[in-house]
Amino acid sequence: MLNELKLPFYLAFKSIIRGRKWTLFLTILLMSVAFINLIFVSALFNGIVAGSNQQIIDTLTGNVYIAPKQGIKYIDDKEKLLENVRAENGVTAASSGFQIPGEIERNARTGRWPIIAIDPNEYAKVINVSDHMYQGKYLDVNDEDQIIIGRQIAGGTDVEMNSTSLKGASVGDKLNVNFNGIKKTYTIKGIFYTKFIESDSRAFITERSLASFAPTMVGKATAVNIKTPNDKENSVMSEVKGLAPDTDTFLWTEAAGLMKSVSGSFTSINVLMTIVGVIIAGVTTFIVIYVDIVSRRRQIGILRAIGIKPYIIVANYVILAAVYATLGILLGSLIFFAGLVPYFIAHPFELPLAEAVLNLTPAEYFFRVQIVSWVAVISGLIPALIVTKTKMLDAILGR
Amino acid sequence: MKDNKTAVSVKNLIKKYDSAGNITCAINGISLDIAYGDFLMITGMNGSGKSTLMHLMALLDHPSEGELIIDGNDVSKLHEKNRIGLRLRLLGYIFQEYALIQELTALENVMLPAQMLDTFPKAKKKAEILFKKVDLEKKMKRLPSQLSGGEQQRVAIARSLINNPRIIFADEPTANLDSVASKHVLDIFKKLNKEDNITIVMVTHEPEELAYASRVINLKDGKLHVK
Repeated sequence: MLNELKLPFYLAFKSIIRGRKWTLFLTILLMSVAFINLIFVSALFNGIVAGSNQQIIDTLTGNVYIAPKQGIKYIDDKEKLLENVRAENGVTAASSGFQIPGEIERNARTGRWPIIAIDPNEYAKVINVSDHMYQGKYLDVNDEDQIIIGRQIAGGTDVEMNSTSLKGASVGDKLNVNFNGIKKTYTIKGIFYTKFIESDSRAFITERSLASFAPTMVGKATAVNIKTPNDKENSVMSEVKGLAPDTDTFLWTEAAGLMKSVSGSFTSINVLMTIVGVIIAGVTTFIVIYVDIVSRRRQIGILRAIGIKPYIIVANYVILAAVYATLGILLGSLIFFAGLVPYFIAHPFELPLAEAVLNLTPAEYFFRVQIVSWVAVISGLIPALIVTKTKMLDAILGR
Repeated sequence: MKDNKTAVSVKNLIKKYDSAGNITCAINGISLDIAYGDFLMITGMNGSGKSTLMHLMALLDHPSEGELIIDGNDVSKLHEKNRIGLRLRLLGYIFQEYALIQELTALENVMLPAQMLDTFPKAKKKAEILFKKVDLEKKMKRLPSQLSGGEQQRVAIARSLINNPRIIFADEPTANLDSVASKHVLDIFKKLNKEDNITIVMVTHEPEELAYASRVINLKDGKLHVK
């Protein structure tokens, strides 16, 4: 019995080492393409969702943010809160912002956008607007009459919200800002472009500038933004909860807004594309194995005629299919991780929401490895069963 | 020395083929006994039913009607699982077209049926002995494509012998061979029959080969034909 059990492996091994090398290579290549097709689409959608989510974290809210409770206007002692937050485990950086309602006017065009007073140095540690300067420079702590604005405010023919923008404001232009009756003129120091519309629809001034026209607001904040490693945001959120009275603590997901439904849609499309990918992988594998088996129909007949049990022949082809799948998965993984992933890191997909790179978690990868392996085994099993059920003489004599 | 026991007994054997409603009777009520130690040659015109009879007796096909007894056991309605066992241990079959596995060397082809029953080293040892018997020990590591037709047929003979069968069926084994290679193959059969007392049942078209047989039967239209 043990001798019998070794036979399918022996036959599969001989078939691989003595079979046509080109056929073997093309079979493995086809399997790898089917596998890449399965992981690429998922990785791309994951990348889009992850890229967009990271944009929210990096340019809008941080991983965790603290805001006054509903009905409360400010966090009163922001310095104390920041000190406490920064002392918590897992907190990489924390900063605050004071959002002032204001109307910006330039050349008779006006609009209302969030204007946020920040400590530029501390804020840059949490929100990376400073890394996305499109024109001009980021704020300095001592700036008083300078403002930086997002591209959606500045405008431009290639800007999504151009119709409601200042239509072509550029660095050095003067802007009149009306903070509920207090009028102030700013010079545009820089224009930033994160490619995330919500982030690019904001303007920033320094806390020093805020103090110049609203000294009572010094030491207050409308939000405290906290940066953490992505895998620690939940634990940090529970740590910082309740550090200041009359505040609520949120994860960045609470501010995702439209992105929530976009992410949901991408996830649904991803599931759909995975199903399509599985069908493509299954059909491809089935055709490859079926053609291989049909071309060996006579050989299968001969094996049966000389007394080789059908289960050995079937197992031989299942092993062959598994080997094709394994080699296809290995080649596909090599192309994907050593070729496609680095390429798209160097040349990310430019999307209106964010720049997307390929993103596949180990769990998703191994799930797809399992799918292709099982599909290959079934695809090897079915045609082998069909051929071993045909009349022996028909198989040998090619009838 | 001949064994008195009957190797193969065929009683009123019928094989019909149904091709789109047209029933063809390839074997039409043949009865025949083959004793152990016989060297039986089956002759007949094309389409007389020689190969069909061989396929039935070698358990490669199922009869439509009649009785087939091999080594004293009725195998007419035997389950495929048991037929495989008989093909593996008791019967050897040699095809006209050699029927070797192209991806295996001559040695590996011969070892293959033995690996169902023995360990790899044991099967290899048995195969090497058989290569000496068919005078091919220097070419046993070659692939079938690197051997001549006669050499491939000798490999097929060695393969049929690997599990020490008592009966060998050979369907026109010399049809694709030149006269020298044919003689070599027939000499091996004669030796196997005489020295190892293996029953040989062989189909042939060549009248000069009949001299090797201890008994000859002729088929015509699926029936035994007495000349």
